[in-house]
Amino acid sequence: MFRRRLGLFGAALALGAAGLAGCGGKAEGQGEGFAGMSQIRMAVRGSEDDPRMARRWSAYSDYLKAATGLPVKLYESSDYNGTIQALSSGQVDIATIAGGGYANVDAQVGDKVTPILTVRQAEGDMGYYSALLVKADSPFRTIQDLKGRSLGYVDFNSTSGYLYPRAMMREQGIDPDSFFGKTSFAGGHTQAVMALENGQFDATIINVAGGDPEHGFSTGAHFTMARRGLVDLDDFRIIWTVGPVPNAAIVVRTDRPQAFIDAARGALAAMPYDDPDLWRDTGQADGGALTAVNRTHYADIIALRAADLAQRRGGEGREGGRP
Amino acid sequence: MKRLVLTIALLAAAPALAQAAPLRIAAPAKAPGACAALPASAPAGERAYYALLAKRLEVEVQKCPVADAAAAGAALAAGQADLAVLDPAAFAPVAKTVRAILTVRPDGSLNRIPIVVAVKSGSSRKTLADLRGGVAAFGGVGRAAYDTPRRALADQGADAGFFAREDRPATPDLAVAELRAGNADALVLNAAAWQRLCRGDEPGEDLCKDLTVVWRGRPRAAKALAVRRDMPEQLRYRLIGIHMPMHLEATDAFAWGSSWIAGGAEFEPTEADALLPTQAAR
Repeated sequence: MFRRRLGLFGAALALGAAGLAGCGGKAEGQGEGFAGMSQIRMAVRGSEDDPRMARRWSAYSDYLKAATGLPVKLYESSDYNGTIQALSSGQVDIATIAGGGYANVDAQVGDKVTPILTVRQAEGDMGYYSALLVKADSPFRTIQDLKGRSLGYVDFNSTSGYLYPRAMMREQGIDPDSFFGKTSFAGGHTQAVMALENGQFDATIINVAGGDPEHGFSTGAHFTMARRGLVDLDDFRIIWTVGPVPNAAIVVRTDRPQAFIDAARGALAAMPYDDPDLWRDTGQADGGALTAVNRTHYADIIALRAADLAQRRGGEGREGGRP
Repeated sequence: MKRLVLTIALLAAAPALAQAAPLRIAAPAKAPGACAALPASAPAGERAYYALLAKRLEVEVQKCPVADAAAAGAALAAGQADLAVLDPAAFAPVAKTVRAILTVRPDGSLNRIPIVVAVKSGSSRKTLADLRGGVAAFGGVGRAAYDTPRRALADQGADAGFFAREDRPATPDLAVAELRAGNADALVLNAAAWQRLCRGDEPGEDLCKDLTVVWRGRPRAAKALAVRRDMPEQLRYRLIGIHMPMHLEATDAFAWGSSWIAGGAEFEPTEADALLPTQAAR
């Protein structure tokens, strides 16, 4: 489930040279090195929409290494739970995780993990949408048309592909545990689109962004897959959207040195300004930037996670295995 | 062997030596003077700001009273201060040795998003200045589609009256259609809209191959926190990382630390030359 992917860097003696440079009466050397940390361990999701993610994360880790002076080890998880468990157990120091995943971490370890940054898009939006996707040649035009049909969720820990749309269905009078004939987990957004394409579900729920329900969207799993030539956008139709869902967070373990947390937050947030090409290479939308957040920003998602768990414990789970 | 031991000892001692250096903040005051610890009589917000920086950086933070922003810039350039709020006028003379690191985003405002100005490839208008008297098509109305691009252009000297006409069709798609039809000389979009417009849905597709970008940049910052360009990156990033969540973690410190911009919502990082008074279009 969770494996070390890139042992990028050997042991580093980063503290020396830079520290000596600070002896000229200027405040140049404060805080070189982070007590108790010899490396940065960062959890990333692998092969979600795009196998080029590995190259992107490598560039990301190179940047973080240059910024902090510490070697960076990337830990690639194959599913949502891998990142959650790595954070909760302290196996990693920093990670990017969706709101629903963070809610799960919060339930396990509370303030030992905290969100520090999230993306604010150029237009000021700080969220994305869940979209109910069907095949274009299907008869389904509204969510009501899917009564008794099969639905593929992304993952139990997915915010846009499970947690949030289920809550919104309930708000709209649809009990997601009884409305559909069968539900299952695809394991990821890409897998969900492929399973739909292959006829394993009648519908699936994925994330979309770069727009809104009124004007349409331009980013999301099926858009990325289309740009890679894996699917044809014309094969799909969005019939229901809910959102916005708070964007994913960069989270850290709070038991790491404060100096590290500050440096990591500053370095990552400076990226779109200091190195806009790298910002785009890491898959971020042009014009977006990182903004500081804390637990409060995800309070609604944390409450939704708690409510969903309570709801599930009160009824019979219908989710089967992966397709 | 002795040399190796000595080297290791020096390396081990280096951080401690470095941490002894105070962080010196140049700040305009009625009575300029030497850098010193903040007096107990300083306003509570100022004390909160200094105390927060001192705690997080684990160094003494000193105030260096200077006559004005220009003097603060000069103090940074001369290595007599480490941090100061500058405006474009104060920044210009010291731009080679000083850089901006943080601005304040006013409440309700967007980030300082990049703006793109494009023309049809093959156009005789090769620069922003060449577009004087032409027709510009913006990608809509509102803050991201018009207000921010307009401000960024004004910062470059392309202020009201620079274009003979400014069209604001409802969407970027309509704006680029206007350009392609020859009804406009330039397309003005924010970078996100440009990216969405040009990124196709097929592998490697570029929907804007027939267009050329003649200018790209962010609106100029009115003021910014600045440091020397040779400040070690880790310290610069820590300063950014301490300031960014200040509005969440230490509201008194934030209120004072951001008071140089009215109605500040949060600190945001910025590019080194955010204060540079470019006038390319004049």
